[in-house]
Amino acid sequence: MRRYTYLWLMQLVSGVLIAVLLGIHMVIQHLEDILRFLGFNLNNPASWNSMIERSRQVTWAGIYIALLAVLLYHALNGLRNVILELTPSARTERVVTWAILAFGIVVFIWASYVPIALLSR
Amino acid sequence: MRQIRPRPNYLGAGGWLWAGNYKLERYLYILHRVTGLGILLFLLFHLIVTTFFRIQGQAVWDSAMAFLSNPLFKTGEYLVAVAFAFHMLNGLRLILQELGFIMTKPIPPIYPYSDSLRRKRPWTMLIIGIIIILCLVFFYDFIVGGW
Amino acid sequence: MGNGKTEQITFRIQRYDPEKGTKPHSQEFIVPSTKGMTVLDGLIYIKENLDSTIAFRTSCRMAICGSCGMLVNNYPHLACHTQIEEFHSSRLTIKPLPNFPIIKDLVVDLMPFFEVHKSIKPYILRGDSEEMEDPTSEFSQSHQAMESFLQFTYCIKCGICVSACPTSASDKLFHGPQALAQCYRYCADDRDAGEPERFPVVSTDHGVWHCHLAGACSESCPKGVDPALAIQLLKRRLASRTLGLGKKKPPASTMPPPQQNKPKLPFPDFTVKQG
Repeated sequence: MRRYTYLWLMQLVSGVLIAVLLGIHMVIQHLEDILRFLGFNLNNPASWNSMIERSRQVTWAGIYIALLAVLLYHALNGLRNVILELTPSARTERVVTWAILAFGIVVFIWASYVPIALLSR
Repeated sequence: MRQIRPRPNYLGAGGWLWAGNYKLERYLYILHRVTGLGILLFLLFHLIVTTFFRIQGQAVWDSAMAFLSNPLFKTGEYLVAVAFAFHMLNGLRLILQELGFIMTKPIPPIYPYSDSLRRKRPWTMLIIGIIIILCLVFFYDFIVGGW
Repeated sequence: MGNGKTEQITFRIQRYDPEKGTKPHSQEFIVPSTKGMTVLDGLIYIKENLDSTIAFRTSCRMAICGSCGMLVNNYPHLACHTQIEEFHSSRLTIKPLPNFPIIKDLVVDLMPFFEVHKSIKPYILRGDSEEMEDPTSEFSQSHQAMESFLQFTYCIKCGICVSACPTSASDKLFHGPQALAQCYRYCADDRDAGEPERFPVVSTDHGVWHCHLAGACSESCPKGVDPALAIQLLKRRLASRTLGLGKKKPPASTMPPPQQNKPKLPFPDFTVKQG
């Protein structure tokens, strides 16, 4: 019983964290012109040079890895809820849960390897 | 008396989308679900681009960026930005209402009945207003930054 | 029978006969309707004059028994509580409530609905079994404490909220807004101490956590019970109990019978001469 309450509470908490971290990411990537108007010059964040500069900083690598972790939890838990609402059999439910968990762990390990590897290049 | 087997009558997943002429919040629910799944799908493609293509060096990255500056992909990116704005703000409203902060207190029902979501409808409209403002802000940036 | 002019209203009713084994199909009837006639009056007119094989449930005809829930023009209503005039249309499409199995025509099977309601233990649970078996006095409950759950006691178990809920449409193991609202009604009642028994029933993968606040249940409830509010308050209670926040009050104790210390009023004088 407590487990399901914690799963739901974590969905809420991760939602708030994503709003902060992904908000930073969206503002940096998309609202460049507005930020330049306000005085912050970002030098075209999608270009190679700007991206390499960011990937050498530990803060940015940390932000991306944290964002990946909470985003994967929130999205895959949501996906699991949507699939479970179609009421598959108990065996299918277990298979779906383990498949989603395995997928999440694999994606997290792979996609957080890249920022860490790029830190030293 | 002969046993009659009742005939199943579930609406199924179609019932998420439409089950009758209900009001606003039921459609905010289905939009929240659709935007969430849409962002998940985008995330998978985005992770492929920013991991495989980024780690292979500048030539691959620049050609990938050139491929993705096609107007079709730019429109898709704008839709993802809009979906994110909607999902974030509607999610904020859901967090506050599901924990009972923007809900009314239980009162004895007096005709004509008005449920708590309807009485707190001004808050929902405020959230939708903020979503529309964010959509316009993102739209301005997509236009100025080159379609 | 009512004053004013008579309009000819077309009732398009979904028919299904399990003994014939055909699929559900629609049948149309023309009903002369006057001002003030309810949908139930129209159905009774059809049964008495046009087709006596049509099946529907009705009992109190005053929106208190919860028997006559049906889908009228794609929105669930109680047939006795809905006037034909309020649709402003000369065609009414009547179908049985969705998300319940159909027995015949407009009659749906509510037994699984009642079984789910029983599973959340809709009665006061307390530790002191002696007092429950053999009550000596009433439980002391203030008016404010009663008002915190009074709205949810007006439920007539008609099933309209379950047919409005999008989760109930696809999730067969979901308890439904009615059972979850009644679970909150008993947990919030301060005479009750049954939270540890009820919470494991609703706090499951297919329980209260599959409610996503679509609000259709509260919108369509014919008695204004607002099950959506009850379910969100239940989530709040579950979250705060799990996190250990908020104090848990002991259940209401019994109140001693009132003392005989009020001054006795004098017996009034006889107004008719005795003698």
